[in-house]
Amino acid sequence: MSRAERVADLAEVAALVRDGMTVGLSGFSYQNPPMAIVRALIRRGLKDLTIVSGPTSGMETDLLIGAGCVRRVVSAGVAFERVSGIAPAFRRAAERGEIAVWECDECLWHLALKAAAWGLPYVLWRGGVGTSLPDLNPDLAEVTEDGRRYLRVPPVQPDIVFLHVAEADAYGNARAARQAYLGRSFSERALALACRGPVVVTAERIAPDGEVTGSPERTLVRGALVVETPWGAHPGGASGRYVPDLEHYREYAAAGEARRQGDPVPYQRYLERHVYGPEEHEDYVRTIGVERLQGLRMGEA
Amino acid sequence: MSGEPELARLLACVVARELRDGEIVAFGLHAELLLVAALLAQRLHAPNLTIRHGLRVERGAEIGPAAWTAERSSRSHELVEYLEAHDAVLDVANPSSPMRFCDVFLVGGLQIDREGSTNLIGIKGADGRLAVRGPGSIGTTSIGTLARHVILFSTEHTTRRFVETVDYVSVPGWRRRAAAGLEGGPTLCVTPLAVMDFADGRMRLRSVHPHTTAEEVRRRTGFPLTAGPVPLTPPPTPAERAALEIVDPFDRLAGFDLRPDGGPR
Repeated sequence: MSRAERVADLAEVAALVRDGMTVGLSGFSYQNPPMAIVRALIRRGLKDLTIVSGPTSGMETDLLIGAGCVRRVVSAGVAFERVSGIAPAFRRAAERGEIAVWECDECLWHLALKAAAWGLPYVLWRGGVGTSLPDLNPDLAEVTEDGRRYLRVPPVQPDIVFLHVAEADAYGNARAARQAYLGRSFSERALALACRGPVVVTAERIAPDGEVTGSPERTLVRGALVVETPWGAHPGGASGRYVPDLEHYREYAAAGEARRQGDPVPYQRYLERHVYGPEEHEDYVRTIGVERLQGLRMGEA
Repeated sequence: MSGEPELARLLACVVARELRDGEIVAFGLHAELLLVAALLAQRLHAPNLTIRHGLRVERGAEIGPAAWTAERSSRSHELVEYLEAHDAVLDVANPSSPMRFCDVFLVGGLQIDREGSTNLIGIKGADGRLAVRGPGSIGTTSIGTLARHVILFSTEHTTRRFVETVDYVSVPGWRRRAAAGLEGGPTLCVTPLAVMDFADGRMRLRSVHPHTTAEEVRRRTGFPLTAGPVPLTPPPTPAERAALEIVDPFDRLAGFDLRPDGGPR
């Protein structure tokens, strides 16, 4: 008998998500957002999702909010660094009371995932005592133990997790590039270890076997479903492969800001052009254009 | 003072003077001015200052602050070889380990109040409900709570930024820390107009920058600052200027978004 491959296509993995699920997404700032799957989820018209992204998240979270798919956000922040200090759809939806936000910082975000990974009812953490976080989150109590104050951090457990990675093999080993911006990995392992259901990776390429066994330290997550998705993080960057398309971020941010201020047309146009218009990820890639994408590519490493 | 570039240089010097040899300093990933300040301190008086994200002064000249941005022109991937370390996950609370998160934390906020609490969560409207959504507390809350030494940094000095009491607390100031059983509190607050420090858990004016006046600083602060004569912030020394040219060879500081007037009224 031969070893089973774990390769899937985007439509198959998008179909695993149902309304109301808790969905974990990779993406730290501009890096590694699983945008191809995000666009596929929006095209499915999903509702009431809880998005666990970050620790500090960006485009993947904001686009899902802007398209009306999200009820609750678990993230330490939603922002595009200096393009947009506060992500526009996140800001609009939060100010209108359309989404709930689990207020946390990056440490608490990781600890909530750890509580899930470790199977614990809570973990105690000293950071964040004396802040507004316990007031804003009913499930984040400030408690006293042995005379010291702590936050009691509940588990956060995604039903399904989507990660974008540089490469994966056909058997579900998801891998970082050899060289990558600010290091190789962000929260991929934390999300995968906390997940109760499938972990799906979109990978820039599928790597042959020999490469993987020769550098096991680059494997971030194993047991994933693998979808080969070149340019799957665009407009975000894919660590070690291409840099973020900041011009695209600026266009998106301007459209989001216009909608926040009452003009819905540019945002709707963005969704039509980049999300609803292209039926498949390959169509999206064509709307951006190969030349522009090649200009974002990093030197091979 | 001749406008923004000179102001950015002054603020980098002010922050650098506060950083001590042997400490670990942490700040936001894209906070170029603070990166320059830390590189400056390494060159001048703190060769064993560890910058959280792993840069060393010997390599600073090749890097330049722009390498910390994701701007394509900086080819940020090429930066990686200059990083000594990167921790993907922020989950350290042990203050004794050489791997502890930091000793000094530089942090800002949408609002900063009299006792030094910060807020990145949002701003309340007249009805007491959230009216302006902030980005979220990002990496500030736990690190700001647990750091031994917090320095506040603000790119504007306005009554909307400096308020009597923050609407939400991302990082607690003196009174809130004491109530939660935490020692200490923020020690300094650096703005485009002034340097403030704290006495009895309340912010007070330590010095004003040469291009403004104590009167203007008080007008732009949403709570009373102690009266009395206030010295001028010492300008960059020749040694500081020489070191700045080395750590910031492309004068990235000149492009830093700072309002010498403190920002909108």
